[in-house]
Amino acid sequence: MLRIQNVSKTYPNGTQALKNVSFDVADGEFLVIIGLSGSGKSTLLRCINRLIEPTEGKIIWDDVDITAASPAELRKIRRTIGMVFQQFNLVKRSSVLTNVLSGRLGYANPWTSLLGIWPQEDIAQAMQALERVGIAEKAHSRADALSGGQQQRVGIARALMQNPKLILADEPVASLDPVLSHSILQYLEQLNKEGITVICSLHFLDLVHRYATRVVALKDGVKVFEGSAKEIDRAKFKEIYGEEAQEVRAASL
Amino acid sequence: MSKQMSNVVMSAFVPGLGQFLLGERYRGLGIFLGFLAIVATTLWYGQPLWYLFPFLIWAWNLWDVFGLAAGQKHSVLLPLAFGLAAAYGIGWQVVEIDFSRAKVERAVAILRPMLQPDFIQPRRELNQMWVPVEVPCSSQPPAARREDAGRVATVTPDCGPVGETLLVKVTGLWPKTETNIFWQNPIGNPLMLGEGEIRMLTQMTDEEGALTTVIRVPTTALVAAPDPTLPQFHRVYFEQARPIGGYELSFIGNEVLKGALATVSMALMATGLAVLFAVPLSFLAARNLMSGNPVTYAIYLVVRTLLNILRSIESLIIAIVFVVIVGLGPFAGMLALALHSIAALGKLYSEVIEGIDPGPIEAIRATGANWLQVVRYAVIPQIIPPFTAFTIYRWDINVRSATVIGLVGGGGIGFLLIELIRVNNMRGVSAVFIAIAVIVIVLDYISAKLRERLV
Repeated sequence: MLRIQNVSKTYPNGTQALKNVSFDVADGEFLVIIGLSGSGKSTLLRCINRLIEPTEGKIIWDDVDITAASPAELRKIRRTIGMVFQQFNLVKRSSVLTNVLSGRLGYANPWTSLLGIWPQEDIAQAMQALERVGIAEKAHSRADALSGGQQQRVGIARALMQNPKLILADEPVASLDPVLSHSILQYLEQLNKEGITVICSLHFLDLVHRYATRVVALKDGVKVFEGSAKEIDRAKFKEIYGEEAQEVRAASL
Repeated sequence: MSKQMSNVVMSAFVPGLGQFLLGERYRGLGIFLGFLAIVATTLWYGQPLWYLFPFLIWAWNLWDVFGLAAGQKHSVLLPLAFGLAAAYGIGWQVVEIDFSRAKVERAVAILRPMLQPDFIQPRRELNQMWVPVEVPCSSQPPAARREDAGRVATVTPDCGPVGETLLVKVTGLWPKTETNIFWQNPIGNPLMLGEGEIRMLTQMTDEEGALTTVIRVPTTALVAAPDPTLPQFHRVYFEQARPIGGYELSFIGNEVLKGALATVSMALMATGLAVLFAVPLSFLAARNLMSGNPVTYAIYLVVRTLLNILRSIESLIIAIVFVVIVGLGPFAGMLALALHSIAALGKLYSEVIEGIDPGPIEAIRATGANWLQVVRYAVIPQIIPPFTAFTIYRWDINVRSATVIGLVGGGGIGFLLIELIRVNNMRGVSAVFIAIAVIVIVLDYISAKLRERLV
């Protein structure tokens, strides 16, 4: 159970990205966050693993207060939270295998990992993760030699290496062709069915309807909706996204 | 109409003023300054013909202000062409261009020896023999006769003052071989015995390997003597050479190789030293790392400015300073190259750091990695290949600079080059040219190949 309690974030330049946002995420949910670009989705996701420090509020996960964790405790918490990014965030010049193994850094011996030495079982797990996302044969290619869809699958494999209980996905399909969106989201859906909680920000209404078990909507940093995916009809969608929403949705279909 | 005329009159006295007053300020100012510049340079160089151009511009200016007043704007192509013609003409004069000064015979004199670079020579063996002679005579001079390995050389009389005629005989040398005969004073300097004492005396040995010749004690034989009246032993030398097959490095060739090695190592040392300083400095000169707070930003500005100033000073000029500080030789050149490279690499490295993708850093932090792991897995893979590529590129540039830095006393092959030019050894110069070309081409190729693999 993840509880987000009255979280606010004000950036040093004065931008208020989140305003008093609260909601709960039950274990095993596929929660989708929607909202316009700049509505605070990315900030909210990064507040959960404290890549961004929230200015106010608490985030409590399984009765542990993430917002109060010491640096060492925070690293222990982070290693159980996988993260998938819009821009994949792979190290382009490193091999696919190294990128996947780096998901294991939170568990690895801090000294041998600095030398690039990995235990056999980690390498075996990495190959398994790559097999699972269907690109085991690319293990020794450079990450930037892969297509966008393949890179995002490497990103998912990296998150899998953390044996995560929670996966944060920040617009995982926004940089991909619409046709590839389903293939990526199906991996997340499958992981979700295996018991991993997924919090994912998305743009397209049809994807929201297809995958979300529950939806939270943000507008200008304020939570404007929380409920099931079915409750979001076109009128509601328009209210969240504004007048241009029609076109966005038409393009996605 | 009178207003139009008044503008024309104004432009007639001050070119551009009419245009200026008609609202075409930049046009007026441009005409005025252009006219002034051309008049000034013409005055300076005082060739009457050049006054044509200021006059043409002045005339065009009148036509232009007339047109402007009537609401017509002419193209400025014409006055620009006049200005360019004047600049080109004056430039021709300033540069003292005179193709008639190129003399074919001078070109031939310098280029012909260059077609035979002095790098290798046929391998040969030497046959050397000498005999002592006392100059001037003491009261009881010893016999001027010496035997060595079956060779016998004698001089008659046994001694003599400067200018004395001596009969020289030698037997047991290689038969039918050209033999150089020269004088050597007591401190070991060779003196010529041929025509006018500026040419080598040469003679063939006969079938038995003997030769006989007449020499005079050279007029300069006692120049180095502390007391010319004190009898001392000089030597008459006989030297034969014959090829024994194959080739070997000539003396100059050997020097060229040593110089080339010094130049390449000078560049290598300089690059290595520069990397040590440039890496930490580049982090201080990276905007994205340093713009966090005013203190670090101030450090960033200072480091950046220092690097920019240092980079703008040519390494050749830094070398002159270091030659004064540490003396002639490759060390001075190395320090100059290193200093210039610190600035150049610092800037290139800092640009790499500024350009790194923050995405992977975020992703690695999200896995629970500690700070060192983030640097190892997200930062280093991003900066090492471009750092290495820039370093190799810098080494490549430093090798080129190192060849030139020798010219101001910085050691290496450039130093050899300037010495050879001074003694007019064009065959040696040509060998150096070839060596420099080979070094640059080879390193260019290697560095390009290495960088290709890294990026």
